[in-house]
Amino acid sequence: MSNIFKQEVVYAITGIVTLLMIVEYFFFATNQIWAETIRTWAVIIFNISLFLGAIRLTMSHSVRIQEKRRDWQFSGVLMAIFVIMLLTGIAGYISTGVQTSNGIYNWLFNYIYTPLGATLYPITGFYIFSAAYRAFRARNIDATLMLVAGCLVMLKNAPVGEAIWVGFKDLGNWVQFTGQIPGMRTLAIVGALGLIAFGFRALLGKERGFYAGGSE
Amino acid sequence: MSLAKLADIDRRVFYWILFIALMVPFLSPIGFPITLSPNTQDLYDGVTGDEVEEGEVWILNFGYGVSAWSECHPSVTVCTKALFREGAKIIITGTHYDVELTYNKLQDTCRADFDNKVYGVDYVFLGYMTGGESVVAQLGSDIASVYPQDHFGTPYDEIPMLEGIVDNADIAGVLSSDTGDYGGHFMTQWQSAYGTKLAEIGIAMNASTDLPRWQAGNFFGVSVGSRGGAELEQLIGELGEATTAMDSISVSHLLLILAIIVGNIGVITEKLGGNK
Repeated sequence: MSNIFKQEVVYAITGIVTLLMIVEYFFFATNQIWAETIRTWAVIIFNISLFLGAIRLTMSHSVRIQEKRRDWQFSGVLMAIFVIMLLTGIAGYISTGVQTSNGIYNWLFNYIYTPLGATLYPITGFYIFSAAYRAFRARNIDATLMLVAGCLVMLKNAPVGEAIWVGFKDLGNWVQFTGQIPGMRTLAIVGALGLIAFGFRALLGKERGFYAGGSE
Repeated sequence: MSLAKLADIDRRVFYWILFIALMVPFLSPIGFPITLSPNTQDLYDGVTGDEVEEGEVWILNFGYGVSAWSECHPSVTVCTKALFREGAKIIITGTHYDVELTYNKLQDTCRADFDNKVYGVDYVFLGYMTGGESVVAQLGSDIASVYPQDHFGTPYDEIPMLEGIVDNADIAGVLSSDTGDYGGHFMTQWQSAYGTKLAEIGIAMNASTDLPRWQAGNFFGVSVGSRGGAELEQLIGELGEATTAMDSISVSHLLLILAIIVGNIGVITEKLGGNK
């Protein structure tokens, strides 16, 4: 009996929902109320999954702290920040209806999170610099082609390229628009066909990888 | 020193070289000329002139966070200014949890334009939405079901600007700004399904995904990274942070190419020396 709920019911729901959404998208000119209801459910389920993620995160890091596993201190920092943001956000929401109205929440967001977020991305530039030096080696013809194409696109994107030689822009455009875009378009079409196949398999209950521990 | 050693330089050397080199444009701006890309020109043309009618409502979706401000925000700033100056109204939504920070930043970077507009009449901030492609689809069929109230708690039907705004048919265009692929979700659920005008403002890494969609006509325009922002700043005639960043991008890209050349000289020398 439990197996029916674990497998067959899951497949049946997936198949029915897939079918309904396909029918609404391709056969009706206007939005259908039943399709809107299903989409609203999807959004609600998505939000519930965020809540479950937060619970799972708390459980996982609590165990790490309790058992003093390697680098458990980081888990401690994560839990402390998690609790502070949660409580101050709730406090702000209760008092004014907007979670960011709480002073502590706002301060942490504006003066800790924002500078850290803004710093994190540019730091990758340093890693990319070092990684490109190590990885972009003309060891064979394929690697050489990739290297040359990459350099041409970089010289096209950076204004200095055109300042050195105006032809870099045309060469970079050629690589991007004649070389790369058709490749990406092919990839997109193949991916879309794969998605259609995946949809049909889900519809027929043959795609089983998405349920817990499932495999075909 | 043997040239073969060039193949194995310590990474810290590169960090220091880049750090020092990036100081140069800050201390003494270079100002290389920036030419326009056709995809950026198309984006600008689509949010100005005859393409925008006074009073029509556009959606501006923030799909990027603080870490991508340098790449996406200059373009978003220019497009917001352009739409406001054409008399369009803007609904601001967000699919990234940093949406409020980005909204505050937009108020800063377009201060003069926001000062002339009234909240709830000319623009509205609906806030964060979750749900991936499903929520984008639902937004197209019933906006109020996704946002029963705005970010500040005002019910949807009490906001004057949203009176009569029910679904995609009431929206003139969508500007999706992304580090991910919400532009793709809007393309599938809005542009393909209903023919809504759609443009994308993405980080440079997204160019390979976004440009084919622009060529195919799904996006009426695309802005690629800081470069796209600098081009748009030039088009609107108000130079800003993207134009400033172009010097740093020139220096870093040039150094990157030099580093690749140096590394390859090392490898070639090693090979010629018989890998001793």
